[in-house]
Formats: sequence, C-alpha cells, structure tokens
Amino acid sequence: MTPLLQVDNLRIELTTRDGVAPVIDDLSLQLNAGETLSFVGESGCGKSMTALALMGLLPEGVGRVASGKILFDGEDLTQASDARLREIRGNEISMIFQEPMTSLNPVYTIGEQIAEVLRRHQNLSKKAAWNKAIELLDAVRIPNPSARVSDYPHQMSGGQRQLVMIAIALACEPKILIADEPTTALDVTVQAQIFDLLRDLGREFGTAIILITHDMGAVADMAERMIVMYAGRKAEAGPVEQVIEHPRHPYTKGLISCVPHLIATLTEERPELTEVAGIVPSLRDFGRDQCLFASRCDRADQQCKSSRPPEIEFDDGQSSACWHAEQL
Amino acid sequence: MTDKKPRPLLKVENLTVRFPVKRGGLFSKKAYLYAVDDISFEVARGETLAIVGESGSGKSTAALAIARLVEAHSGSVMLGDDDFLSLKDEALRQARAQVQFIFQDPYASLNPRLRAEAVVREPLDSLGTGNPNDRQATIDELFKAVGLRPEQQRLFPHQFSGGQRQRIGVARALATRPELIICDEPVSALDVAVQAQILNLLRKLQKDFDLTYLFISHDLGVVQHMCDSVAVMYMGKIVEHADRLSLFNNPLHPYTKALLSAVPSVDKKRRLETKRILIPGDPPDPLSPPKGCRFANRCPAAQEQCTQSQPLLRHMKTGHSVACHRVSDDGVAPL
Amino acid sequence: MNTEQEQTVETARSPFSEAFEMFRQNHLAVAGLILLVLIILAGLFGPYLYVADPFDMVWAPFSPPGEEGYLLGTDYLGRDLLAMLIHGARVSILIGLSAAFLTVFIGITVGALAGFYRGITEEILMRITEFFQVLPTLLFSMVIVALFGASLPMITLAIGLVSWPSVARITRAEFLRIRELEYVTAARACGVSNAKLIFKVILPNALPPIIVQAALMVGSAILFEAGLSFLGLTDPNVVSWGQIIGSNREYILDASFTVTVPGLAIFITVLAISLVGDGLNDALNPKLRQR
Repeated sequence: MTPLLQVDNLRIELTTRDGVAPVIDDLSLQLNAGETLSFVGESGCGKSMTALALMGLLPEGVGRVASGKILFDGEDLTQASDARLREIRGNEISMIFQEPMTSLNPVYTIGEQIAEVLRRHQNLSKKAAWNKAIELLDAVRIPNPSARVSDYPHQMSGGQRQLVMIAIALACEPKILIADEPTTALDVTVQAQIFDLLRDLGREFGTAIILITHDMGAVADMAERMIVMYAGRKAEAGPVEQVIEHPRHPYTKGLISCVPHLIATLTEERPELTEVAGIVPSLRDFGRDQCLFASRCDRADQQCKSSRPPEIEFDDGQSSACWHAEQL
Repeated sequence: MTDKKPRPLLKVENLTVRFPVKRGGLFSKKAYLYAVDDISFEVARGETLAIVGESGSGKSTAALAIARLVEAHSGSVMLGDDDFLSLKDEALRQARAQVQFIFQDPYASLNPRLRAEAVVREPLDSLGTGNPNDRQATIDELFKAVGLRPEQQRLFPHQFSGGQRQRIGVARALATRPELIICDEPVSALDVAVQAQILNLLRKLQKDFDLTYLFISHDLGVVQHMCDSVAVMYMGKIVEHADRLSLFNNPLHPYTKALLSAVPSVDKKRRLETKRILIPGDPPDPLSPPKGCRFANRCPAAQEQCTQSQPLLRHMKTGHSVACHRVSDDGVAPL
Repeated sequence: MNTEQEQTVETARSPFSEAFEMFRQNHLAVAGLILLVLIILAGLFGPYLYVADPFDMVWAPFSPPGEEGYLLGTDYLGRDLLAMLIHGARVSILIGLSAAFLTVFIGITVGALAGFYRGITEEILMRITEFFQVLPTLLFSMVIVALFGASLPMITLAIGLVSWPSVARITRAEFLRIRELEYVTAARACGVSNAKLIFKVILPNALPPIIVQAALMVGSAILFEAGLSFLGLTDPNVVSWGQIIGSNREYILDASFTVTVPGLAIFITVLAISLVGDGLNDALNPKLRQR
C-alpha cells in the first residue's frame, strides 16, 4: 500500500538578513490514511514550517522548497500550480491553528463562515450549505447547533471557537488534518474534549492527523507515531510508546524528563528536573555539518561537533540521528 | 515538612475581589463580577501553596489582590500580625518588601528601557531596603544566585532569551529579601526545555533563602512538582484544598477529578488507570452565578440539592477541605 | 550555567541606539534630516551671511530671478525675495517648533493623566479633548488672532490650542496599553510612586509614537501658519513664507515665481520633516526592528 503522504528528502530554505538558512533540512516521512503522526520540539525547530510547506503556504518570497518531494496521493505538491494547491487546501488537506481567537472573522456568523467553505469547494446551494454547517457543528459536539449556527465568534468561548475551526477544517472531509498546537491556548478540560473529538473523527472518517505540539503528554495521548524535530532536522522518529519508553536521542530524552508529569501514584519523592541547558540555535547556524544539538548535549564529543550524524534505523521502526544512538 | 505547623506566614481570610461591569444603558444598575468570592487559606512558613484552576477561575486575581496590585473588596490578608490590606505609607512600604511577585510573561514584565541591573535595583531603591552603598553588592549577589553572569548586568531585556529574562524577574523578586513570593504562572510562557531550569532554580532558592511560595498555575504537572499543598479554584471559589499527595492521589471534588483526568500523561500506567471524566459545556455566566453549586451544570454527579444550595468548604478527616454536597463526611468521593 | 556563549561578546545596546542605527540605514530619512538641518542653518545664520533687509525696496517690482544680482528676483514692492525667504525661514521654523512643543506638552499632560488615572479624570479630560477636536480649527485660530492680536506668541498659541487633541489621544492610548503591561505592575509591586510610574516608567515607553506625531506636528504647524499668513491674519511686520505668498497672491499669473519660490520652500521643508518623521516611525517601531 502506498502511503497517503510521502515526503522525501525535503529541504526548505528561508532567506533572512544573514543569508539563506535551511529551516527544514533533509526531512523524510510517511503518513498512512487514518493515522495520527505527531511533530514534537521546541519553538523554532521547524515544526510549523513543515506544516506550512505541506499546505503550500510557505511565506512568499522568503521561504521556498529547495529540493525534495511532497507526494500526496502520488502527486508531487512541490510541483503543483497555485490553482491546484488552492483546490487541495481546505478540501483534501486542511489545517487548524493555535489561536482560535483570531482565526475566525469577527464580522460573519460562524454558520456563514462554515457555509462559505462548503460553497467554495463543493458547490453546494446556500440552503444545503447552511444545513451542512449545522450538521458539522453537531459533529464537533457543540450543544444546540441549530441555534448556535447564527452566533458571532465573540459569543463563543475559546474552546468552542476551536471546535468551529475544526468544523470548518472538516467541512470537506479532508484526507489529512494538520493541527498546529491546537490546544495550547486552551484549558486542559477543553483540550481533553478536543483530543477526544479529533480521535473519534479520525476513526470515523479515516482522516489522517498531523499533530504539532511541544507537549509529550499530548503526543502520548493522541498519536501513534512521532517525529522529534530539532533545528530543522529529524532527531528521532518512531512509534510513540516505544520512543517514550526508550528514547534513542538525548534531545527526546531531555524533552520527556524536563517536564514534571502526573504519574499514576505520586510519592513524597521529587527528583530534580533534568535541565536541557541553553536554547535552540539561531537560524544562521542551521545547516552546519555537525550535530546541532551538540552544544546542549552532555554526551557530545569531537565527532558530534565535526560531522552531522546519519539517521540510524532500528529494527522496530525507530530511528535516531545521533552518533551515540546505539548506546542510549 | 514539619509535623506541627507553628503560625502561618500568610493567612488569607474571606478575600473577595469584585469588578464593576457596565451592562446595558446609561442608567442601568451597576453589576459586579465577583472574580474572587470569599476565599480563605493559610500558607505555612517555608512551604509552597499552589492555587490551580482554569481561565476565569480567579486564581490570578486572587494573587494580585494578595499583593495589593488589585484592590480587594473585603477580607483580610494577614502577614504575621498585620493586615497587609489595611497598611498605609511607611508600614506598607516595609510590608511590600516582604511580599514580592514573579510574573508570567518575561517578555512583558521587564521594562524594555532599563538595563538588567536597573530592573533588579528598582525594588531596592523604591522600597529603600539596605544601605545604598551596598546595593551594587546585593545586585551582584542576586545575579549569581539566579545563574546570570556579572557582565550581563549591563544588557537590556531584549538581549536575553526568555529563560534568562525570567531569571532577571526572579532576581528582582528576591532583591528585598522577601519572605513570601507570589509566582503567577512563572513558567507557562517559556519553552518546555527552559521551564525545568526555572523550576529547579525556584526550588533551590526556596531552600537557600527560606522562601514561602504562593504558586499560581494551570499546569498540574508543574504544580505537582512544586507544591506542598494545593487549592483548586473554580469560578472564584476554592472547591478543594489538600496537601499534595492527598489531592493528586485521592481527589474528592468532581471538578478536581475531571481536571486531573484531563491532563495527558506520558505515564502509560496512569493512562490506563485514569478514566476520563468529561465535563462538557461552559461555566455559568459569572455575572449571575447560580444559587446552588457553581459546578452543578457540568458536574456528572450533580443532584437536586446541588442546584438548590451552595456547598461550603468542609474539613474532612483525611485532611481535605472540600466544597461538595456529594462528598460524604468521612471523605468518600461521588465519582 | 553555560547558556549561549555568543552573548558574552554582545554589547549592551540601548533600544535608542538600535533605533538610531535603524534610522541611519533609512536613506530617505537621512536625506530629509540633512535637508532639514540645512534649512535650519539657513534660517539661523543666513541673515549674517546674506546681509540684506527683507523690507527694503531694492529694485523694480517683479524682476525675474537672477536679474541685477537678485538671485530669486523681487516681489510686488520690489523687495529682495531671497532675503525675505531667509528671514521667513526663521519665523516659519520657530513657529513650527514652538507650536509643536506646545502641542506635545499639552497633549502629553492631558493624555497621560487620562490614561493613567482613568475613571472620572479620564471622562472629564477626554470630553475636553473632544471639545477642542471638533472646533473648526481655522475659524477658532482666526478668532484668537482677531481678539488678541497677530503677534508670534498668539499665533503659536492658536496653532497649539487646536492641534493638541491628536497628541493627547495617542498618549492616552499608549498609556492605556502600557499601564496594563506586567512591568508596570512589577514596578507597582516594588512600591514605585504614581508620579514615577507616569514619568519614569510609562512615558519613556510611550514616547516613540508621540515623537513621530510631534515631528509631523512641526510640519503641519508650518503649513497652518502659512495658511493664516496667506489670509493676512498674521503680523505684516514679520516676514514668513506664508505671508510672502499671501501678499503676492494677486500677481500669481503675472509673476508666478513670487508665489512659487516661497511655496517650494514650504513644500521642501514639510517634505523633509515628513521624511524624518517616517524614518523615526520605522526606527522606533519595535515590530519593524526585528531582523
């Protein structure tokens, strides 16, 4: 079976004042229908840039695909025309963003905004689109949808607005839904509702979900496979349970143990949190022939600082770009 | 933790904060939003009390009111023998030096026009603590204590990373050698990897400087790591208050349970053991709260009496205080 | 703590020095600044370098530029236009600067008090501001000049009184925004007094848009003065650019240069000020300063 989405050796370059920097450097991945894949990493690691590239929404004149392929259903999106990309966007691949407060237009009712998407992509009549909008609101579990459909965005809470965003994203039954930190701005109880909803919808419609987050707990909760990104490169990838159980990259390890988690039974014991010293390198250091994590890693040796580690495959589907992956 | 607590350092009693809300026309009656509605708690010296809750719970407002950065409507905040809320002038200045604040957003909490050293110097100058000649030495010491290099004193805030800025914020809060530091979401604006640095720093400083923390956060994982006891707020009220282990291992209030069950975890065992408790819908309109329990409309365990009368905070034998009709007197949770 | 080594070499650069750097890279703004400096120098030292009485009738009226050594020609009374222009520069710029200063002074005071104290203070001050804003500006200043005479201070006062509301509104908006920022709350937690909060903490951070507005204010004050002079409402014994245009306006078809020359002077000055204002706007706008 060919995967729904296949990215091969993708390299995206961003033009900055200091020159050209590879914000995505040699990224390959596969996504099957109905699967949930998660991108994890700190801000500035290229998670969101990957999502924008998949949508064909790289910042114009600044970012461009330098090499590599994005194969969606066998079609190379890096070669697709703007018109074709517009057709795909919102129809076959759609996206929800972090800020539900600003993603909706305040001067239209939510029904109008959902219907607008349906009419553009599916040529539904006004009446049919409106009815479908109510159905969608019901599908995202907004109570009393036939009344709420004529509400304006400001009449809804942050969580409900994000549900509306999901309704819009799902309007055309996309094959892939990209969720970029969809719950970062929301309360945990709302986050739990949204995760439940995404999980059920994925199961029901066979939508593949790409979840971008910095929260390992969310990854563990939501995704089947994960890719840990660091400074534009894939640091580690593999099945979620396995990676969390046994990370084979020091960065993954750091990301997991630097956050205090809730565990099944708490005890008096409270160990110091692992610190990952320093911060993500700046863009002008991206693309160097070395392990970019070396400056923050206590295992770093001469080799790490002088050549970029290759991706080492392990037989259980896990892979890690670290010179010391085998010893970890 | 000491066995027998002596006198608490901070004792908050019946604190209420309300904001006037304009509603309707010019001559309509003034409505009030009770952001914090009659809360009481104590914090023992050297301990950390966490206040958790979701947005709109009033936890940050409570923190600001305790520090007198927002005006309280009624209630008292006892610091030792003095009511901090009624102090004036010189007494207030001296008391302010004892209560300092760490803010949420390190990008907004440092004056962009001041050098790092001036930021840390500000409380020393305005509160007039210490000998003016020793101030530079104090600043040097503080920079060292929070893990910044001396040459960084001359830099401006925008030249620091988020984590470093928060270190400056911590140094400022420490400057007057306060007893109580109120930390309002001190790490939620920081990148995950940096949060650990600040949390470790705060715990180290607590030991070194013998600090008492009031720790405001929505992140239960962080709270679990930092606190000795926890108060859970919902719509301006404390619904449950207990020591760390009792609250996290044996939550009683349905809201606390729901909150804890909603937190995703990397611990596989916890994921398998925890049944998610869904609380659909939104809290009621804070301008006209229901006469019964404020959580009743979302509570899976709500019964007739919950919509009729407001539950009071009751002290359980287990050490919990819970405001819920459905929790039995010997501390058995309804869910 | 081994956080980012490269920061050791970073020098302490204040936000203002960064803004200056940004301004320097803006060629148009630098050109405007140079032009402006030249005009001010001409106004300050011109009368000593080019010694001539602007009220002297030196030659036949309407003699075109260049004739008989009069570089810019003469006006309808045969007065040396170049001399008038140089003396006029003084008045125009003086009025521009002092009116802008007055505007900013009133505007900041009112705006800061309204934005900081809010409540009833804000209500009252903003109603007053609105009152001045809806005044028909030209009419109001004509009344002032008509009542109190057309001396320079009166004209400055008239311009200042009608133009401060915009500064007040900007200042108030900035104060409203900044007073809610955490560093202001932090200063309050440190027990900083209100006066210090207003002047030492909030005002310096509110200045950038006010500075830009003040720069543009100088330009509009010059234009305003020109307008009043054109209508003949200013002191006829003081030469200003507007007044030259006003007094020669009847001959615009026969000797257009008598109007064009001072008109160009006003145009170039205001343009130079606008360029500087624009450059300041870009340099002081933190959003544009990022990378």
